[in-house]
Amino acid sequence: MSLAMSRPEAPPAPPAIPRAAPIQYGTALLVLVLVAGPLLPVLLQSVLDGALYDAEYNLTLANFARLARTEGFGLVLLNTVVLAALTTLVAQFVGTLAAILFGRTDLPLARLMSEFFLWPLYLSALVLSFGWYAVYGPAGYLTMLWQSVLGEAPWTLYSLAGMAVIAGVSQAPLAYIYCLSSASITDPSLEEAARVSGAGTFRTLWRITLPLMKPAIAYSAVLNFTVGLELLSIPLIFGDPAGITVLTTFLFNNGISSPRPDHGLVATAAALMLAVVCFLVWLQGRMLGNTRRFITLGGKATRPRPFRLGGLRWPLFILAALYILATVIAPIGVLVLRAFTAFLSPMIPLSEVLTTGNFVQIFEYPVYSRAVWNSFVVSLVGGAIATALIGLVAIIVHRSEFRFRGALQYLALFPRAVPGVVAGIGFFYAFALLPGLGFLRNSIWILVIAFTMRFIPAGIGAVAPMLLQVSHDLDRAARVQGADWWTTSRRILLPLMRPALVGCFTILFISFFKEYSTAIFLFAPGSEVIGTTLLQLWVQGEVGLVAALATIQVAVIAVCVAAVRGIFGVKLHG
Amino acid sequence: MADLTIQGLTKRFGGVTAVDDVNLHVADGEFVTLLGPSGCGKSTTLAAVAGLDRADGGRIQVGGTVYFDAARGIYLPPEARSCGLVFQSYALWPHMTVADNVAFPLTLRKVAAAERKRRIDEVLALVEMERYAGRYPHELSGGQQQRVALARTLVYRPAILLLDEPLSNLDAKLRDRARAWLAELRTRLGLTTIYVTHDQIEALSLSDRIVVMNGGRIAQIGTPQEIYERPADPFVADFIGTTNFLPARVVGDAPAGGRALLELADGQRLEAVAERAAPGGSRVTLAFRPEQMQVAPPGTAPEGGSVLATRVTSRSYVGGNWQVGLELAGAALRLEARQPPAEDRLDLWLPHAGGILFRGGADVAA
Ligand SMILES: Nc1ncnc2c1ncn2[C@@H]1O[C@H](COP(=O)(O)OP(=O)(O)O)[C@@H](O)[C@H]1O
Ligand SMILES: [Mg+2]
Repeated sequence: MSLAMSRPEAPPAPPAIPRAAPIQYGTALLVLVLVAGPLLPVLLQSVLDGALYDAEYNLTLANFARLARTEGFGLVLLNTVVLAALTTLVAQFVGTLAAILFGRTDLPLARLMSEFFLWPLYLSALVLSFGWYAVYGPAGYLTMLWQSVLGEAPWTLYSLAGMAVIAGVSQAPLAYIYCLSSASITDPSLEEAARVSGAGTFRTLWRITLPLMKPAIAYSAVLNFTVGLELLSIPLIFGDPAGITVLTTFLFNNGISSPRPDHGLVATAAALMLAVVCFLVWLQGRMLGNTRRFITLGGKATRPRPFRLGGLRWPLFILAALYILATVIAPIGVLVLRAFTAFLSPMIPLSEVLTTGNFVQIFEYPVYSRAVWNSFVVSLVGGAIATALIGLVAIIVHRSEFRFRGALQYLALFPRAVPGVVAGIGFFYAFALLPGLGFLRNSIWILVIAFTMRFIPAGIGAVAPMLLQVSHDLDRAARVQGADWWTTSRRILLPLMRPALVGCFTILFISFFKEYSTAIFLFAPGSEVIGTTLLQLWVQGEVGLVAALATIQVAVIAVCVAAVRGIFGVKLHG
Repeated sequence: MADLTIQGLTKRFGGVTAVDDVNLHVADGEFVTLLGPSGCGKSTTLAAVAGLDRADGGRIQVGGTVYFDAARGIYLPPEARSCGLVFQSYALWPHMTVADNVAFPLTLRKVAAAERKRRIDEVLALVEMERYAGRYPHELSGGQQQRVALARTLVYRPAILLLDEPLSNLDAKLRDRARAWLAELRTRLGLTTIYVTHDQIEALSLSDRIVVMNGGRIAQIGTPQEIYERPADPFVADFIGTTNFLPARVVGDAPAGGRALLELADGQRLEAVAERAAPGGSRVTLAFRPEQMQVAPPGTAPEGGSVLATRVTSRSYVGGNWQVGLELAGAALRLEARQPPAEDRLDLWLPHAGGILFRGGADVAA
């Protein structure tokens, strides 16, 4: 037996250059540049009296005073807060109700309806806004139908309430998901106890289920309020024409659209927004710590017995179906229909206006087809690059002895607190300032960089939980056998993380594909993407082309979601 | 092969000192077992030797290589040591077949393909797993996984072998077979080995020497016989084999090696051999294995021991024998007997020699 009594072997020769430190420090530095790069110019500009790129400037706090004195800025702040608050109200109300109805009762077709209910999560608020416009706008399908039968339609989207409804509907899935994962839904014992002791269905719901969901509701409320503050598309489409300005549109109008932008003012407003959102994200973190206790992980718990709705079963079903129809199916359906018609009106028979002209036009005009192409390149290539970076960051943070791994994790998650518009402005400044980066400024790579920074936290969120489930013994075993950190990461950890990386890539692909709020500050002729072109076409009044382009976006995302869920069984939320 | 020297090893986790000043020398080819209850620092000690955790103090040397020396700031990363570690969880890589798992350390060492194949075949044959080379870990039973984990470690001929409770995840039947197999394998391999377990039977049957650990410290080092027959303190006595403890007081000075007269709390008296001198009036604890205690037939007093009156508190049939619970002067004792006691009173015979006398009260968790 040659194994026995044989001389022990030396450990494998270490690589010529140690690899762990360069990779770890390099990654950390890259993330630092990505995150701090756009933020420093904004913060710096907010305390300068001149433009950042001027030869001479002085430090000053005058910008803050000037901003406070700017006429109408108080109203802007008020509008922002009111819109965010109303949005949160709508989203929480609808989301909580849906969680109970679809998750806890014997409502017919609950699964199917919950699928539809989640759709706004996958689509951009921009596309949803166009859909709502096509149905409920002044020349919308339902508005015209209503007018022809009942006279003046009693609603308008061009108001804070109207905008809050659209935004609320598009954010309700967030509240829904958090409420669904709350303990009251996954842990049946508490409810069962109430029911055994004789409480009726609605009494149990009201006294047990709902109170137990409180932490989830509160946490998602702060989340939704934050998203509500950062809204850009809805105020841009419905607020601006009605003269309702919020902080994001204020930044957009004064920073980009303005021929002579007031950099001091813009940066100061952006810094203000950054501070507020930072605070809210910090608050979320605090609350999540407290919420964890109420949220069960992964839904592995048994589904409790659903509540019987009894006589209300069908009326509630009709109500829920109407909601889905009115808020999701009709807007998307009519938008798609509009894409395939020259003109859409209840007065004209559909057969007379059917056409593929909109799509033909999109593919004939290089400006438009290029936007579609660019979107694909940015999402595919950018998504892949970002996934690689995120995988690396996750491994360094959770599976290395890197000295600054705590700081790296904090840094990588920080973009949660950076609104899209602020990131857009920040990257705009950063690239304008840094010499030698001019070639990037007019290419799609500036978008790849900015999008990557924006969505690192989302990617980490998709990868880290899986990594934490991989036993430490697996990589320790490889280390003891002679593999250095990098070999262990490559040969053991990365292959085991494959499903999570696929999920991460999909999330990034979809996010990149629908992103616009950062892009509108950064794109140049030649580097348009679908989101920016949609807004441009909208301004030009090309509703047919907008519908066609939006349809393309919806179709790609739908295929993507279906494929990933079907093939890989990867959950894209929760 | 190589010997292992551990000096003053200390590892703290926050406020907890998991390993506290451990000193140990394992000779070349020796098989040493770390034995102790869960949480006593066995795994932490192994991790420090393998380099998975950086210890806070002390020194570790294998053969001529210093793995760790806190004083001189030396710390070799795990991949630069030459340890083989078999994890309690086996830690087979789920995305690789058995053959790929075993090939991994060879690939790292850039072993040529033909030689690699030969060695994989050889080591899989050694652990009797050659027919499973193409399987994935989840297609194997626990016992088979454990063999593959061992093969994966043996294939690169480590300087020392570290085994962390390798049998604890197997069910009782399988564990007995695997233990016998392991005992046979170790004599064939002759590797310097540290074996970690909380199971005294494994420790007693496999080891050249046993290191009993308690709360991060070494309680006793010795051969299995020494540990079993002359435990250094009540903790070791209790941990190795079921032990009965009798608190007592010494009546009159007892010389070392002589007889000591002891008095129990209820006034009954007995004699016992004291290894060390015991001053009169001092508190002591007398420890007996169940097999050393016998039932005295009523009215008799067999030679060489003391008879004590006890109260029967429980009887349970354990297959072949009866386990009898007794109360003697406030202490609970357990006794094995062929027949269940008929009455509530029972006369217990305790030999003068064979019991172990410890100084002080017995503060052993029951
Ligand atoms: N990574 C760690 N962090 C904090 N405490 C630990 C860690 N690993 C072990 N400990 C503590 O150190 C002590 C010894 O643990 P361990 O060596 O695993 O015990 P054993 O293997 O003997 O069961 C225990 O109290 C345990 O809680
Ligand atoms: Mg252990």
